[in-house]
Amino acid sequence: MNKKVINNINIIAFLLPAMILFIGVLIAPILLSGYYSLFDWNGFGAKTFIGFSNYVELFTSDAIGFIKALCNSLLLAGLSVFVQLPFSLGLALVLGRSIRGERGFLSVFFMPVLISTVVIGQLWLKIYNPSYGILNVFLTRIGLESWTRIWLGTKETALGACFVPTLWQYVGYHMLLMYAGVKSVSPDLREAAKIDGATNGQVNRYIVIPCIKPIIKVSVIFAITGSLKSFDLIYVLTNGGPLHATEVPSTLMIDMLFLRNRYGMGSTIAVMLIVLCFAFALLINKLFKEEA
Amino acid sequence: MKKVLATLLAAALVLSCVGCGKSGSAKSGEKISLDMWCIATESDSNRPAYEKAIADVTAAHPEIEFTWETFENQAYKTKIKAAVAADEMPDIFFTWSCAFLGDFVAANRVYCLDDALAKWKNELPEVMLGNTTYDGKHYGVPTTMNIVGMFANMDILASVGYTEVPGTYDEFIECCDKLVAAGIIPFGCAGKETWCVTEYLEPIIEKSIGADALNDIFLGKATWNNPDVAEAVDKFQAMVTKGYFDPEGIALSNDEVKANFIAGKYAFYMNGTWNCADFANDPDGFGAKVKVSEFPVINSGAAKLGQLIGGPSDTLAVAASSPHAAEAADFAFELGRLICHYGYLDGNGLPAWTPYGDTSGINDLTKAVSDICANADSYVLFGDTAQSADDANTYLSYVEKVYGCEIDGAGFIEGLANDIR
Repeated sequence: MNKKVINNINIIAFLLPAMILFIGVLIAPILLSGYYSLFDWNGFGAKTFIGFSNYVELFTSDAIGFIKALCNSLLLAGLSVFVQLPFSLGLALVLGRSIRGERGFLSVFFMPVLISTVVIGQLWLKIYNPSYGILNVFLTRIGLESWTRIWLGTKETALGACFVPTLWQYVGYHMLLMYAGVKSVSPDLREAAKIDGATNGQVNRYIVIPCIKPIIKVSVIFAITGSLKSFDLIYVLTNGGPLHATEVPSTLMIDMLFLRNRYGMGSTIAVMLIVLCFAFALLINKLFKEEA
Repeated sequence: MKKVLATLLAAALVLSCVGCGKSGSAKSGEKISLDMWCIATESDSNRPAYEKAIADVTAAHPEIEFTWETFENQAYKTKIKAAVAADEMPDIFFTWSCAFLGDFVAANRVYCLDDALAKWKNELPEVMLGNTTYDGKHYGVPTTMNIVGMFANMDILASVGYTEVPGTYDEFIECCDKLVAAGIIPFGCAGKETWCVTEYLEPIIEKSIGADALNDIFLGKATWNNPDVAEAVDKFQAMVTKGYFDPEGIALSNDEVKANFIAGKYAFYMNGTWNCADFANDPDGFGAKVKVSEFPVINSGAAKLGQLIGGPSDTLAVAASSPHAAEAADFAFELGRLICHYGYLDGNGLPAWTPYGDTSGINDLTKAVSDICANADSYVLFGDTAQSADDANTYLSYVEKVYGCEIDGAGFIEGLANDIR
């Protein structure tokens, strides 16, 4: 056996454990979900092959409400990209300037990321409580009683009330990613720009932000795919209600899988989520490449 | 030499596999292990009944090594379905009757209890087995039965001039109007848990169209497209729009609404009679203020008093895959009988088994429920239990829309007639 063949065998042998793991925990479940999505199945009885009927029903049935759930997720993605990320970037740029108390601010902003989402959900449930919640109490105290609402129980306000803590929780996460990027920008570049008379704003706009573009791209991908997959906080706060106003694809999937025993339809939603996440990741990559 | 070594290794492997395998039926005198999953968590009012029953049965059966695990209600529904899908159920498991257990039975995952039942037939009325009987075979051991009760805070009713719960629908509406005029919220209902809304809506529909008609709809024998149902739904919705319900209730859980009722925020609370023990045992003496009754008749031409929502739903079942299924079946019957007994004494609903022993210590609320059931004409099982999982959730979704005034009675019947699969 020549050396090249032996090398190839060695490469395969060393890659095999990781490949088995990768296929076992990622590829196989995706393929299985795709397979189950073609069946009408309650999870434990006999399966009936129905082709792409689940996909057709998913996009046409008002009773399932997938389109509405998807719109809610896309709205969250939009808010995440256009509100959460600029805010995180602003914080990262300010803290990256080595201001006083930098480490303390970093810890404070990052703290919500460390706290369990269920705990954060419970905290915001208390904040929104119509009777004793701090929000309504505050509004009443400052004379804005007419602004008080049943924040999580009214269709008009529930979605917004869910988005606020969802966006708030991950500001620190994106800030930390961008902060690491800001800190890695060479001080020489900043100094050179300053000598040329650039203001702090101009340094950020023309030097720092272009330098951390790859990190911003990663943040955008995380923000959009994270929004499409959002589940935990909404599950704790409203569980998709009232009247499905805060339904997102993941809560719908849980509903189909575990409450309605529709494993086929649940798998269809899972497949759609995977496809959408991949599609958005590719699209964002392409957009950032074109800009570069 | 290599061949000998390989043969020895193979033999050792085969022997070890045999040693690790599950044993079949227990030989006489051999100790066997049984495990059980249920929802009697530390905070569950039925927990003491489970503990006492398990202590009694395990003491009577030293040959059985029994372990049990408890899970929160909603999480359990997911867990047991996943276990059934993987065919990795415990020997004995808690389940709800009718469609919930029916799906497991249809998948051949549940052990038939006909043989074990023969021993207990005298103590377990056949009427209590209807919800766990499929194709004439019995698959469940009912423990307790419950109905929807209308709990009334008599102190609040007294403040608007009532010493008794209004007996007719017109008097009842008049009472609610007086309460609203006095600034008192008549009803508390947890909109966050839609099953709580059905505890109001189902009695209203039943007392409008009659028990048989509603039962036929739940069991798929009749269509939802029934104008009388629409009229009943409109009556319920009128109560919502007239301010009979706490507007904050839509964002509250059942525990929060129940706490509000105990705190005196509402005059009425319609919910399962499993709440009797909690009200009766309230340390601040709330039990003395409460009376329980059934919802008044709305249309006497079709419905009458004694037509109730409820029935035996809490059930123990045995996994078909259990290596000791026959022993588990006997154990489940003994356990179910004792859970029922102790649960009844504690006031956690009514017994599915024939009561025995001294029952004089039962709280007044449970006694009142017992009287209501003694005069029962018929029972319609809770809608979300009677229907299949998918239909039940479609139904709950429409109930939520009615409560949120998104649709009216016509929209409710039309939507359900179209969307129930």
